[in-house]
Amino acid sequence: MFDRRLIENFDWGFFALILVIGSCGLVILYSAVSAGWQGTGLHYLFKKQMVWMGAGLVVILGILVIDFRNLDKLNLFIYAICVGLLVSIYFFGLSGGGSRRWLSLGFATIQPSELMKISLIISLSSLYAGTVSPEGLNFRNLIKPAVLCMIPVALIVNQPDLGTGLLLLLIAGSITLFVKVEKKVVFTLGGLLVLIVPVVWFTGLKEYQKERIMTFLDPDRDPLGTGYHIIQSKIAIGSGMITGKGFLEGTQNALSFLPEQHTDFILSVLAEEWGLVGCTVLLVLYFMLLFWGLNIAYNCRNMFGSILAFGITSMIFWQIFINIGMVMGLMPVVGVPLPLISYGGSSVITNMVGFGILLNISMRNFSTA
Amino acid sequence: MADEPHKKISRRVVVIQVMLVATLVLLGIKSFDIQILKAKIYSQRAENGYSRELTIKGERGHILDRNHNKLGTSLDAMTIIADPLHIEAPVKIARILANILEIDPKALTEKFSTEKRYAVLAEAVSPELAEEIRKLRLPGISFTKSFKRFYPNRDLAAQVIGFTGKNDIGREGLEFKYNTILAGREIAVTVRRDGVGRVLDIDKKTQDDLRGNTIVLTLDKKIQFLSETTLEQTVKDHKAKSGLALVMRPATGEILAIAHYPRFNPNNYQDFSDIPYRNRAVTDAFEPGSAMKVFTAAAALENGFTPQSIFFCENGRYRIGRYVVNDTHPHDWLSINQIITYSSNIGAVKMAETLGKQTLYNYLTRFGFGEKTLVECPGETAGTLAAPAQWSNIDTGAISFGQGVSVSAIQLICAISAIANNGRLMKPMLIKKIISGTGTDLQVFSPAPVRQAISPQVASRVKHMMRLAVQEKGTGTKASLDGYTVCGKTGTAQKVSPGQKQYAKNKYVSVFAGFAPQENPQLAILVVVDEPQKKYYGGDVAAPAFKHIMAQSFHYLSIPPTSPGSMVAESSTFVPEGENL
Repeated sequence: MFDRRLIENFDWGFFALILVIGSCGLVILYSAVSAGWQGTGLHYLFKKQMVWMGAGLVVILGILVIDFRNLDKLNLFIYAICVGLLVSIYFFGLSGGGSRRWLSLGFATIQPSELMKISLIISLSSLYAGTVSPEGLNFRNLIKPAVLCMIPVALIVNQPDLGTGLLLLLIAGSITLFVKVEKKVVFTLGGLLVLIVPVVWFTGLKEYQKERIMTFLDPDRDPLGTGYHIIQSKIAIGSGMITGKGFLEGTQNALSFLPEQHTDFILSVLAEEWGLVGCTVLLVLYFMLLFWGLNIAYNCRNMFGSILAFGITSMIFWQIFINIGMVMGLMPVVGVPLPLISYGGSSVITNMVGFGILLNISMRNFSTA
Repeated sequence: MADEPHKKISRRVVVIQVMLVATLVLLGIKSFDIQILKAKIYSQRAENGYSRELTIKGERGHILDRNHNKLGTSLDAMTIIADPLHIEAPVKIARILANILEIDPKALTEKFSTEKRYAVLAEAVSPELAEEIRKLRLPGISFTKSFKRFYPNRDLAAQVIGFTGKNDIGREGLEFKYNTILAGREIAVTVRRDGVGRVLDIDKKTQDDLRGNTIVLTLDKKIQFLSETTLEQTVKDHKAKSGLALVMRPATGEILAIAHYPRFNPNNYQDFSDIPYRNRAVTDAFEPGSAMKVFTAAAALENGFTPQSIFFCENGRYRIGRYVVNDTHPHDWLSINQIITYSSNIGAVKMAETLGKQTLYNYLTRFGFGEKTLVECPGETAGTLAAPAQWSNIDTGAISFGQGVSVSAIQLICAISAIANNGRLMKPMLIKKIISGTGTDLQVFSPAPVRQAISPQVASRVKHMMRLAVQEKGTGTKASLDGYTVCGKTGTAQKVSPGQKQYAKNKYVSVFAGFAPQENPQLAILVVVDEPQKKYYGGDVAAPAFKHIMAQSFHYLSIPPTSPGSMVAESSTFVPEGENL
């Protein structure tokens, strides 16, 4: 029943790359949580992350067993489950930091919006794989994807979690452009966006969200308030210089100047302790990962698989780009974790599912549709 | 069918790869910009973020008694600091803190609203309270160690030791006089602060090195205590205004006790504003009365007279110009021994008249009157001893029995000790040594003779007179102590009413000054009781207190009795042989 070719075609390089980046992530996280840790042995967050990483690898293996083309058939079912989870947050969700994003499973809390990313990618891939045309997609073709997209985005922005909401839109937009859209559609939508932005600014955004964007434009405008995170993060990165202060030597990190240093701002710990060298190494590793992902999309002879591989690669890309951009002060502060590095179970699992799907597509590219 | 779109996709993948490389370059450039081009700026800002110049002060040195009992010490106290940036709910946190610290929450809220990132919320907070606050783990609240002056024996020797005021600066007594020696040194240090505004602990060794010097006094806590207790009882019994009692070792001038009544508690001196904080034994002068006669007698013996030389005492009334000098009991002829024993004013006047005012003045100054003793206490008075050229006849007479001259208690006990010490006047010693914060001796003081006031032979004869004064017919019999040869002299001086030239009726200073044992005086003691009611003779008021202090001190110091009477008493305490089962 099991095709021997699957093993022969297993993408060991890609898998190894995931393990390398994941290991780097654990090393950085170790430093991030150990600073100022008074307890004995390993920090509990570090232990939990190791468990999540292990679970993630199991998830990858689990996904490899099922042919990715089954996802094509199951896409609406998965989508329904994820939307259901998002809706259930309104009833059973856990609050924290001014928003409700989490669901308790008893042994762990999950963030359904993370899983929603994968689900949306699968659904869009499935949809576009059927409607793709040489001229590109027209308005009518875009109605279904738009509805598919807006339901979860609306639910997530309402939590409120603007970062993840925007991430979904960026992923969906990337996939759509990848599939090709008619030129007039692109221009119309582009124009519409320019009109919508001011409206959203004045009506749709919460005060703290506006504040974040304003301080992104000029962090020193409120150095002790909302600009504090960005400034402290830039200070950490900047003081790392070329080779960094050394492992576990980061003062910004150790002295708790870094906000969220184990989650969204973990890159600043890396930058402070390992310097420009460390950052460059990580960036190169990440872009190897992304190129590999694109290669999988390119080599896949199945339209659904190709779009799916691209979608997942774009998901990884946007997370990396937004997170690094945010930490370096190129982007406003939005809560997007750094794949394979930031602490967080949902993030680890989501990305591992993504990698699992990519490996799955990669090892089945011999079988044409 | 699959081929056509796939080609398109492959072309798009290339485009995307190019865009990815561009993004990589963009992030790389930004990283380079922050980490290389602006590295210095950000490193500096990082340093600024958690470093802070702060002045830290070492612990103030202790004040110890001769046996190293702590008289003045420092308790660990905490200074509570806030980083207003990290105070998220100022009103709430102010209320919590104010509740624990028992202060006004509004003052705290104001401190939280400062633009600075460092606000001192409370100083000299007890470690217990600080721990209570620390347990709350409030963000932005941190602690540094400081010290709070504490006097473990409360009012013991309070007027001598004094106290510190704001910022632990000495305000009274030795704390004031030796402030620079006691004070912990201050240095500016760079402390580090973490991201939630807590100041990181200051190196313990640094703070130890800054500790001030410790002063070891000659005072003996036990003798000080028993002197104070006795004095307090005496003052209360006689409804007097105040009192002083001093204990000195005559041979060295070491002061073992300077007792005051009323006393105050220096730990909360604010609550005792009606009680003088000053060391009155040093700062205030009083007319000593008949106690002065022993010095007049010493002057006479130095000038060819003997204890048996006799003077005519005018049968109790002696007119000098428009003044009349009276004796309590009329006498005709008295020897110098008798003049001292009976404390005859007229006898003293006659001796002074015979000697002449210059000679009397010379001997009084030889005993240290009219000049400061240079004892290590602030605000010392020299007393008043006018130059002899200004003395009228009545002045000469009055000075001979201790009126019209004023002395400080420290002067008087030094002069009495000089008689006990074979005529040698010693500088009073209050400080034995100064020890550095790390425990090494910086300065060790030794007894310092001032001068030989009178010859040892004369001193011995004056001692004998003073011995007679506390025996049978003397005025100071209430000072006599079984088993010990006590020498002493009473004094009862009329007080000048404030703002008036005349002596007030019914306002007296009762004095008793003496030492024991006669052969080898171990302790000299002076008791001064100001304005006792009803009984006012020094022999009735001050002498019993003198005796009490002497008896207890001898017991404490294990000074054995010398006179035969007590030897019998002592031997009777032996258990007879055979019953020792």
